[in-house]
Amino acid sequence: MPELRIEATINGRKVARPAKPHLRLLDFLRDDLELTGTKEGCGAGECGTCSVFVDGVLMKSCLVPVAKAQGTRIETVEALANSGELSILQKAFHKAGASQCGYCIPGMVMAATAAIRSNPFAGREEIKERLGGNICRCTGYQKIIDAVEMARDVQNGKLSASVFAEDEPEDGAFIGANVRRIDAPSKVAGALKYAGDMVMPHMLHVQVLRSPHAHARVVSIDVSEAEAMDGVEGVITSADVPGEDGFGVFVHDQPIMARGKVRYIGEAVAAVAAEDVLTAKRALAKIKVVYEPLPAVFDPDEAMQPGAPVLHDYAPDNITKHIPIRVGDVTKGFAASELIVEQTYSTQAIEHAYLEPEAGLGYVDADGVVTIISPSQNITHHREMLSKIIAQPISKVRFIMSPVGGGFGGKEDMIYQGMLALLAMKTRRPVRLVFTREESIISTAKRHPSRTTLKMGLSKDGRIRAFEMRMISDGGAYGMSTEGVMRKAAILAAGPYAIANVKIDTYGIYTNNTPSGAFRSFGALQAQFATESHLDICAEKLGLDPFEIRRINAMRDGATTHTKQKLKSVSILRALEAAEKASDWEKGAPVSRGETRSDHATQGIRPPCALGARFEAPAAAERSEVA
Amino acid sequence: MLLCDEYLTPASLDEAFAAMEKNRGRYRIVAGATDTYPWAREGRAGDVAIPVLIDVAKIPELRERRIDDKRVRLGAATPIQRFLDDPALARALPCMPRCAVWFADDQIRECATIGGNIVNASPAADGTPPLIAHEAEVELAARRNGKIARQRMALCDFVRGRNKTALEEGEILVAFECDALPGYGGAFEKVGHRRSLVISLVCLAALVKLDAAGRRIEDVRLAIAGIDAVPKRLGDVEKYLRAGMVTAERLEQAAEMPVNLVASRTRQAYRREVVRGFMMRGLINALRRAGADPNMLSPEQEASYA
Ligand SMILES: Cc1cc2nc3c(=O)[nH]c(=O)nc-3n(C[C@H](O)[C@H](O)[C@H](O)COP(=O)(O)OP(=O)(O)OC[C@H]3O[C@@H](n4cnc5c(N)ncnc54)[C@H](O)[C@@H]3O)c2cc1C
Ligand code: FES
Ligand code: FES
Repeated sequence: MPELRIEATINGRKVARPAKPHLRLLDFLRDDLELTGTKEGCGAGECGTCSVFVDGVLMKSCLVPVAKAQGTRIETVEALANSGELSILQKAFHKAGASQCGYCIPGMVMAATAAIRSNPFAGREEIKERLGGNICRCTGYQKIIDAVEMARDVQNGKLSASVFAEDEPEDGAFIGANVRRIDAPSKVAGALKYAGDMVMPHMLHVQVLRSPHAHARVVSIDVSEAEAMDGVEGVITSADVPGEDGFGVFVHDQPIMARGKVRYIGEAVAAVAAEDVLTAKRALAKIKVVYEPLPAVFDPDEAMQPGAPVLHDYAPDNITKHIPIRVGDVTKGFAASELIVEQTYSTQAIEHAYLEPEAGLGYVDADGVVTIISPSQNITHHREMLSKIIAQPISKVRFIMSPVGGGFGGKEDMIYQGMLALLAMKTRRPVRLVFTREESIISTAKRHPSRTTLKMGLSKDGRIRAFEMRMISDGGAYGMSTEGVMRKAAILAAGPYAIANVKIDTYGIYTNNTPSGAFRSFGALQAQFATESHLDICAEKLGLDPFEIRRINAMRDGATTHTKQKLKSVSILRALEAAEKASDWEKGAPVSRGETRSDHATQGIRPPCALGARFEAPAAAERSEVA
Repeated sequence: MLLCDEYLTPASLDEAFAAMEKNRGRYRIVAGATDTYPWAREGRAGDVAIPVLIDVAKIPELRERRIDDKRVRLGAATPIQRFLDDPALARALPCMPRCAVWFADDQIRECATIGGNIVNASPAADGTPPLIAHEAEVELAARRNGKIARQRMALCDFVRGRNKTALEEGEILVAFECDALPGYGGAFEKVGHRRSLVISLVCLAALVKLDAAGRRIEDVRLAIAGIDAVPKRLGDVEKYLRAGMVTAERLEQAAEMPVNLVASRTRQAYRREVVRGFMMRGLINALRRAGADPNMLSPEQEASYA
């Protein structure tokens, strides 16, 4: 393999070194030069975590072959603050609170730097446009754009650099004050190390073999050829688990790797640790797995039918969890109602799409402690489970939580940490696994898809007399957080409304789909989608204003919830008032639309999305002619 | 993951052909690599091992830009961003800046080449409709018996279907030549899921030239992609509009004409609606930029299309 010899100036220093011809500039920077401020969020040009300057031009380094770097001048995020002081933009990001998990932030800072280098006078719309190639999943874009505008104005002398200083909290009160985040400087500078950025001496690289079948018996796994390969240091399957194999947030129904059968496409079947990723990948191709496909079920309603394929022996009815709530008597409530409305609502699976794909390191330390570094959202529970799985006392298991590059619930499940532990124990070397974006999407938990039938009885004055909900949720192949999600969905289903007669049943069901798990709002979203949509429909039928119907039913201070929680204060009335005001709400039943819309194109309402701000900006055009 | 044993960066066409002859059957051309990398990922082609990658982006002839009042010659490896920041190019190809601003994002446009866009031949490729409207020809080169032979072909004949072109093994797309249309008003309409990093569901290129009074259409060029496997020039609509006055009624009539051409694989009804709206908006935007009377539309029409 004729290696390339790359000679380039990187962050002001001359670099001359060999590089494998297939590398992307991103790999060269991260792996060969350990400049890990540049991140890999997608590897496909979609996210912008990998943005770097090549000869002054911003590019996505995951799409640039390393050979193209020959003879160029490259700047990475590390260059922006290499004097030790943050750049104007970095300071503005810090001040504006434009960083949460921080994983997108180095790329954002680079794109922002490019934007105001291209047009130091760019307006807000043009800034948005120029940052269009960079995605953030947590901060939201407002603060980021605010930061760029702040930096632009400081740079142009319109604002004093003193704006970067921390606000004094009024009367020493921090709630409601704009406090700068302590961890932001490390994020805006690209200095913070996420698990995938960490390396250890003598480290091996892990790749995972995943199931191509939704439901199949694993007849045999032959790893001998993979094990015999040069550079392969360890191969594991479920046979390597020394203890009680099973994890999950509530029920421990998921093995570290498929045991006996696979239950979804993408489930881990075996894993390899090798000297480099490529060798590990090649070893995966040598593992011979014989599967015997089984009938699979992909719809939770079908999975509840007698005779449906059964996923787990312990749950012959495929029910992961059923949560019932009973308050009052709905039959009576319906009898007392003047309007009864019944509807079915469905929601789909949603991927968290945190910008940091899963990554972790595992090693056995000098004292024999099996140690896992990963962005796990649940390390204490993971530690307990892993100690049983590897049959070690809990004092011999340690979890270190690395910075989480976005989780939103998606990093609560211990889906890869067990493999790291087993491989570290088997090879006695540090091991690292970094998921690709595709791997993250195929193998990790999603938001529960749901099908909710809601029946509501109301009297003419808009009061809800009876509430009956049945929610069927697709929990996928393993339990993960399903139990908790079903519980939360049931608890919150009837909303902040005072209803005397309530009957709720939420069901989490096993299917051969990708497992569902925790996701921000934890089941409330699916239930609320049904309840709130339903209230709008009922308002329409009763000729009531949608805000009004909610006010009529709202719990008041001192209310008791449907699950008997006493509430000292209830804020729904204030929330409704604020929402009504902010939305320029047109009062009335949602039955007709007037000649004109007063809630549309008014101040504070964003016009439809368009592009081309730079064509209207003379400053930009003049500058590019000079350039 | 895209694997190769060798990555070559020839400095001339001759060097490129030498590399292609030496590695016949085991190479692939790359220019900006922005289609090639995402293609070689899980869920699409997966891990792909190509023994030799030949990067044509540094060949001077493929970077050339020659512009006069009549014709434009554009090297195939011209990055899309040049349509935005080269004023001479923007003047000669008036709808290209509008096309470019919707294309991927500022960063990818610095890498993505117009040649790669055309050869990849996605039915949604944004570069094709504007170039078809400019009556572009492609120049293909091959080396036979040590001599470089060149061949010209109309772009609309070159693009054959979904990911299919007339390019043959051993050929390189060297350049495009097309009409320079300074003084035309240009527009490009595109619909996707967000404003950056979107692949077009439908896109439309419109170019209009008006008479001195700004009332009569002297010339009009329209091309659309996303409604069928290959982009289409809308000759009938052009004929109807050419030499006519600019009136809202005529624009509405014209917008109706291509609606029945929608023959995409998916979402036909939706695309029909989009086509009608795009025709109106594209024509109006192009007309305005060509200097048409700003009051050609009633306020209601203004509100629904502008
Ligand atoms: C995130 C993202 C967003 C995108 N958005 C858009 C968009 O909005 N609109 C759009 O149209 N496209 C878009 N694309 C697709 C892509 O960027 C374009 O099609 C681009 O123009 C391809 O050019 P390239 O030089 O990068 O292609 P390459 O990947 O280098 O090449 C593509 C193909 O063309 C061949 N080829 C290239 N040059 C030559 C030549 N001179 N002679 C012969 N064969 C050649 C290659 O062999 C290959 O088969 C997007 C891509 C990404 C990753
Ligand atoms: S754009 Fe390069 S990693 Fe996402
Ligand atoms: S802060 Fe942007 S992705 Fe987390």
